[in-house]
Parts: sequence; C-alpha cells; structure tokens
Amino acid sequence: MGKDRVAVVGIGQTEHQATRGDVSMAGLVREAAARALADAEVSWADIDAVVIGKAPDFFEGVMMPELYLADALGASGKPLFRVHTAGSVGGSTSIVAAQLVQAGIHERVLTVAFEKQSESEAMWALSMPIPFQPPLHAGAGGYFAPHIRSYIRRAQAPDHIGILVALKDRTNALRNPHAHLHEHDITFHSIKDSLMLWDPIRYAETCPSSDGACAMVLASEAVGDEAAAAGRTPAWVHGTAMRSEPTMSADRDTVLPLGGAQCAAEVYRQAGITDPRRQVDCAEIYVPFSWFEPMWLENLGFAEPGQGWRLVEDGATALDGDLPVNMSGGVLSSNPIGASGMLRFAEAAMQVRGAAGEHQVDGARLAVGHAYGGGSQFFAMWVVGADKP
Amino acid sequence: MPLVTEPTRAVQVLSAPLVIEYPFKRTTGPVVGAFLTGLRERILLGTRASDGRVIVPPAESDPVTGDDLTELVEVGPGGEVTTWAWVHHPHPKHPLDRPFAWALVRLDGADTAMLHVVDAGTVDAMRTGMRVEPRWRDEREGAIGDLACFTPEQG
Repeated sequence: MGKDRVAVVGIGQTEHQATRGDVSMAGLVREAAARALADAEVSWADIDAVVIGKAPDFFEGVMMPELYLADALGASGKPLFRVHTAGSVGGSTSIVAAQLVQAGIHERVLTVAFEKQSESEAMWALSMPIPFQPPLHAGAGGYFAPHIRSYIRRAQAPDHIGILVALKDRTNALRNPHAHLHEHDITFHSIKDSLMLWDPIRYAETCPSSDGACAMVLASEAVGDEAAAAGRTPAWVHGTAMRSEPTMSADRDTVLPLGGAQCAAEVYRQAGITDPRRQVDCAEIYVPFSWFEPMWLENLGFAEPGQGWRLVEDGATALDGDLPVNMSGGVLSSNPIGASGMLRFAEAAMQVRGAAGEHQVDGARLAVGHAYGGGSQFFAMWVVGADKP
Repeated sequence: MPLVTEPTRAVQVLSAPLVIEYPFKRTTGPVVGAFLTGLRERILLGTRASDGRVIVPPAESDPVTGDDLTELVEVGPGGEVTTWAWVHHPHPKHPLDRPFAWALVRLDGADTAMLHVVDAGTVDAMRTGMRVEPRWRDEREGAIGDLACFTPEQG
C-alpha cells in the first residue's frame, strides 16, 4: 500500500510540573502547540488539520475537552480529531496525524497531546469501585506490580535492576530542562531506601504526576524538503504501528504481551530493521515504573526474553551506552499521562534531528519511540530517521 | 429438551447502583482568571480579538485565527438585550425565585453578547433592544454568580 513520506518539522513541549497553576487547560496545550509552530516556522493559518489526544476524560472531569479546546488549537474551519487509547494515546495520536499526511490528505497537521493531572488525582481515578467485584484501590502501580514480580521470577533478575533504571532516567532528566523532576541529590541508596509502594515498586521507581503537553507539526515530503533546505533538519517517519489486545484475557502474557511484540515486528518491517539492537541508535520507551525498561527491551526485540535486565546492568541503556534508552529522563521523570506517549515519539524525533540539547546521543540517525497504555493493552510505536526512508 | 436455554426477560437479572463521586478543580489561567477576578471587583472585562472586536466573556485565543488574545478591555456596566426567553414558572434551581428572562446581553463596548438573567418583573417589561444594568451581589467571590442578574436600566 503506497504511502506518502512524512516529516516531523516542528516539536514543542511545555515545562512539565506537578501543578501548572499559571495556565488553564487551553493555555497548557497552546504552550506546546505554539512552540511546535515556532519550531516549524509556520503560523496557525498554515495548519490544515488538528489531531488531539489525551488519556481518559475522567482525569480532569472535562468530557470531550476537544470541543472546548477547538479555538485554543486554531481549529476553526479545519478538521479536528480526538484520539484516545489510554496511556499510549500520545503515540497513537501522533500516528493518526502521520496517517493524514501519508494518505496525501493534508500538507501540515498539528498534533497535540496533554494531561493536567493537578486538576484531579488520576492514579485513583483508575481505581473506581465496580459493583459485584471486590474494591482494589490499587492504582496503576498495584495493577502492574504482579506483572513485574512475574518478570523478575521468569528472568531471574536481581533486585537492583529497577533501582538502576530509576537512577539512570532521573539522572538523564537533569539534562532535560523540560523535565518535571530534577533530583540533583538522587543516589542508588536514596532510591533503594525510598518507600516500598507496591512491592517490588518503590516510590522512587514510580512516575510522577505531571501537568504538561507536547505538540508536533507533521508535514509532507515537500514541506520536509523545504525545512531541510532552510537548515531546519526534519525527522523522517520510517514506520508507524499500533496493536491492541484484550486487557482481561486470562491467557495473555502480561510480561511479554503479544500485542507489543507484533507492534514492534510491524514497525521494524516498515523501517527495514532486522536487528534492532544493532541498527537502532537510541530508543525512548514508555517506562512508568522502572522495571518496565528491561521488560519492554525484551518485548521490542532489543534483547532475548529473560535477558533485558542484563542490558540495564551492563550500562548499555545509559546515555553513553550502545543503546541509550530514555535519554529525556522518560516517563519516570515527567508524566503528563496523555502527553507521555507523544513525548517519547517527540524525543526520538529530536534525537535524529540532532536537536536534543544536553541529552543528545552523538550521531543518532535512527530512533524508536514507543508508548503503551491500558492494562498493557494498547501499543504504539514509530521509527524516525535523519535520512529519508 | 433443549440443551441451551435462551435468556428470558422474565428472569430477574442482578443489577447494582454505581455512583461515582470525585473531586476536580479548575485552573482558570490569565484571561478567564482576570474576568472572574474582575467580577469580584464589579468590573466587566472582555478581550480584543485580532480583527478588533471585543469578546465578552473573554476568549483566551482568537476564535477565527487561533492567535493569543491578551488585551483585556473593560466593558459595560450597561448593555443591551439582543434576544431573550421568559421563564414563567421558575424551578427551585433557577437563579431567581420569581419569573425572569434568560437573555443575551451585549455590554457597552462589546461586540458579542453574553448569556445572563434579566429581572424585569413582568414579561411585558421585556423587549429586544432594551437597556439593562448589572445588579451585583454584596458578597462576591470571583465567580459568574457575583453578577446576580441584569435589571432594566433606570432612567
């Protein structure tokens, strides 16, 4: 099936914080969108369509916020789409926007994702009592902790792996001015001594609750060529994939979800990647609890099943390793849920544009962005490159 | 004898209520926040749009061009009713305990009309184009209810 090429020509994100009390929800999304437009050197009028994503509406209590945000996103007289796939939504929103360009329908699409977690308490919004079932009140960590225990048992991974991931990501975040957490005093022992929230997940191995937004301008090949000619290096989309699976099916493998593996296989097929560990220069993957780094390294084919933790222990995923992972500090350092997936996709694009500042991986030419959501139920990935596909 | 029985409507199927109560809050931002703060001070504010029109209540971004709107403009306090609907029998949750009008009021200096309440006494006192003025609550907190209603302009 033929697809037009897609270039990422503009990227913007907010300063992520626990509470952005200075801006409304509209102000928050505009902060990211305006920065993406400025980066692309275009105005609101140059945008053909807007694709917005966020996690469940219940997180802020505004039903269908895209209705209220239409003018804030400059969508008057234009198509405006809302995407929702739980925590992976920032990724799937980027992909829906890319498809509008791939299909040759639009020249420049603005895509935005956000969450304003301070307007409520999303962690507990995930734990509503359901009639005829015992109340769990466990939040996301309580849901995922057994999956992690299962991983540790199957992989026979040592206990300190989760701590190493948290230390790496929070240390990387010190290089990212947009990150929510800048923990200058963090150490292996401060993480180890932090409160055990959901065994084996400690407080310091858990993502924060953030207000934030991310936006990108995705454009046609002609627009991408113009940007390149003007010295504004675009990132080229080499592949996009989304996969889903049932959350509650008893026989699914939550440690190595089939949907995640299929999503990776498809995006690598499109990008011509046969050996991701060798060919991919860096990856920004959705790790809300530290242990998901080794789990997803295996699910995405960067390591054999049971071996992902060795990449962590060997330092391969450090900023100076041979496969840097979560250079931005990741979800562990900033988590505006709806935007978290797009921040992964955007970081991958920033890397291959050579625009990642202090967290730039030298010579990054091919990068993976990854997001997952629901109960490890929705998966979204893209591969972006410095060269045209 | 069928091996599988079809569900029948006569069977009492289990059901249970599910009431979800959850606290939320709203951050108003610099434009809507200024409007609400103005109400507390008995000042009515709009924003100037890119084409020069004054929008009340104020918009954060231009509804046509999408540009930031940052210029706050004081409007009113008087205004004009552009259209209205009379409520003969107020419900307990209505803003007034006597017959009143829902009305669109274009405040002096504004180019758009704002939905509010006109306390005119009788339907015969209402007409499109009539002049109205605000009646403020004594205790104001920075909310739309600080402006209790509009009344026919005296004079």
